Amino acid sequence: MKRLFLVVFLVVAALIFSVKISVLCSPDNADALKWLAQEFMKQNPDIQVEIVPLSWEVLYPKLLQDLRSQAGSFDAFTYDVMTTGAVSFGLVDLGEFMKQHPELVPEDYDLDDFIPQVLEESGKWQGRLIGLPFYNNTMLFYYRKDLFEDPKIKQAFKEKYGRELTLPTTWEEVVEIAQFFTKKYNKNSPTEYGIALMFPRTHTLFYMYLLFFGEYRNAPLGIMRHGTADLEYGEYFTADHKPAFNSEEGLKALEMMKKLMPYSPDPLGSDYGETIEYFNQGLVAMVPQWTGPYLIFKNTLGEDKVGIIPMPGRSVSGQWALGINKFIPEEKKIAAFKFIVFATSKWADKNKFLRFAVAPARISTLKDPEVRAADPRVPALEVTYVTQTHRPRIPEEPRLEDITVETFSKILSGELPLSMETLNDLAKKWEEILGK
Amino acid sequence: MKRRIVPWLMVLPVLALFLAMTIYPFGFMIWASFRDYDLSKSAETHFIGLSNYFQIFRDSTAIESMKFTVKLLAIAVPLELVLGVLIAFLIRGVKGEKIIRSSLLIPMMIPPAVSGVAWKMLYNFAFGPVNWFLSFFGVPKISWLGDPFYAQLGIIIIDIWQWTPFIFLMIYAGLQSIPQDLIDAARVDGADWGKVFLHVEFPLLRPLILVALVLRIIDCLKTFDIVFMTTWGGPGSATHTYSFYIYKIGISFGWNIGYASALSVLLLIVAIVLVNVVFRLVRMRQQLGFGGEE
Repeated sequence: MKRLFLVVFLVVAALIFSVKISVLCSPDNADALKWLAQEFMKQNPDIQVEIVPLSWEVLYPKLLQDLRSQAGSFDAFTYDVMTTGAVSFGLVDLGEFMKQHPELVPEDYDLDDFIPQVLEESGKWQGRLIGLPFYNNTMLFYYRKDLFEDPKIKQAFKEKYGRELTLPTTWEEVVEIAQFFTKKYNKNSPTEYGIALMFPRTHTLFYMYLLFFGEYRNAPLGIMRHGTADLEYGEYFTADHKPAFNSEEGLKALEMMKKLMPYSPDPLGSDYGETIEYFNQGLVAMVPQWTGPYLIFKNTLGEDKVGIIPMPGRSVSGQWALGINKFIPEEKKIAAFKFIVFATSKWADKNKFLRFAVAPARISTLKDPEVRAADPRVPALEVTYVTQTHRPRIPEEPRLEDITVETFSKILSGELPLSMETLNDLAKKWEEILGK
Repeated sequence: MKRRIVPWLMVLPVLALFLAMTIYPFGFMIWASFRDYDLSKSAETHFIGLSNYFQIFRDSTAIESMKFTVKLLAIAVPLELVLGVLIAFLIRGVKGEKIIRSSLLIPMMIPPAVSGVAWKMLYNFAFGPVNWFLSFFGVPKISWLGDPFYAQLGIIIIDIWQWTPFIFLMIYAGLQSIPQDLIDAARVDGADWGKVFLHVEFPLLRPLILVALVLRIIDCLKTFDIVFMTTWGGPGSATHTYSFYIYKIGISFGWNIGYASALSVLLLIVAIVLVNVVFRLVRMRQQLGFGGEE
């Protein structure tokens, strides 16, 4: 009887004295975060963590609405790198917080272990540390290893194009290979189409453009014309923050996208889910995709059929960081801080990658022998993390993104001419929005 | 004095709820439409007069979204009306009427967001049943969501599929209420099926048809979910409906509450004008017995 009382007392006490925090997140990383929350609560029974996944379309408006109204209806959240500028005002300055609460920072929590560019891009805004890198997403180029290694297919390719079928390093090479793997142009092709492209009207098209533009924008001539892109404005802008896409490089990128379209099933009508399915079902031989779908491909097609290389042009970053709502009480801030530090620790970074394919943000994870042996994406990730391109992080980004996707979509569908004039008109709209 | 207070106290909770849920948001929308109110910059606002309203007519996407909404209104609503009336008449007295009636209502009962997902799969270029079915007739694969023309057609088809049952339901209910002796009397007088429809049934159903038409016009002006779930307004601006554009400006991409409010006020005005035009055109006020100036 005494034991029962004791158990009841402890349960009641835990309920009364525990702090409950809610964490909003993107569905991409929700499973990993839920698992980490369970692990965290085992070690911290005085803190209850509730993970609330929200789709991208809902998460960002909800964050902005709540932060602007200072309602504090959630305590921590994952934010997309491109929304950093817009949500930064409502985030706790973690640098200051760490100074005020040094006892809350574990000894082995090493900020310098984060990939420097990742910490800068997803964690910092105008010099302040506002988030801790959680999901270092990037785009990789997946291909059908079994087809690329098939001697008969290799021979047929050599006969048709006079060169070896090698893994593509440029988009020009991708065009040739995609044509070869498209039945319409090669009736012996083992796949219906060469490549699955996602150029729909959603924000996908905005980052897909950078896969192509990034190559030309960061080539010596592009750098000479536009300067080096900074991490707040990204490759869409010149070094002095003017639109960079209304240029020879910008035109070339769209031309390349158009060149590839005949070898892709429904590029303007396909998004993330469709392109994954096209590759998964063996309809295409290649697909540029994010890090996450690897597990789907591996489970459906088999590890031996899925090859991974860095993007032939330039990849694009799609990072997510964990931040704390500035407008919540101090005890909740402390609980949320403990959780986000736990969820971004070295141990968490390694395990979330191995278990849930959530791309690592720490150097130690990439160097870990167990990780390297377990996951074939690591070599490609290492190259990609230092060469990838970046979207703008300024508060106006969503609006710029929408009008850009509208114009690009019209260019790709043939509604608007692919000309400098069209791009200049778009640049004018950008300047209006930016108030220049 | 007490007698005066008690009724007020009884009504007060409902009145407060009405003010909070309807009048306040409505007033806020009007207020915001005259201000520079952009949440991506700051929560503070300032008065800018009619600038947001003038902006609408300089905004090419707003114009294009108006055009597509008008297209949807002009094609989908009349077709729904004709099909709904036709089906209601055709299934009357048919064997298995109850089963057919219930089955016909299914599209209307599915939430638009869910039917959007279903139609996205149906329209899938490579694996979708629509292209698979059309292939039997030698039709090459169609990019239902990636080609401006087919994307618009696709949205119109979904709207017709989803809302024809609504018209059908109203007309079917109306048909049940027509006294059988009126029809019998007409038949005794020698009227055939067509004359019974034209001179007995249709005049009696007209008020119902008009109510259904007005409700569909209002609903059509607010089309959002299907576009959100299938095309996201694309390709280009081909399938942007006006409501979807308001959502994007106000919530998803723009956070420009002021401009979104001005767009909403305009939609409200258009809806009121359109409904009144319909009422006047068909002299419905007179038929329903209110207004009475005509």
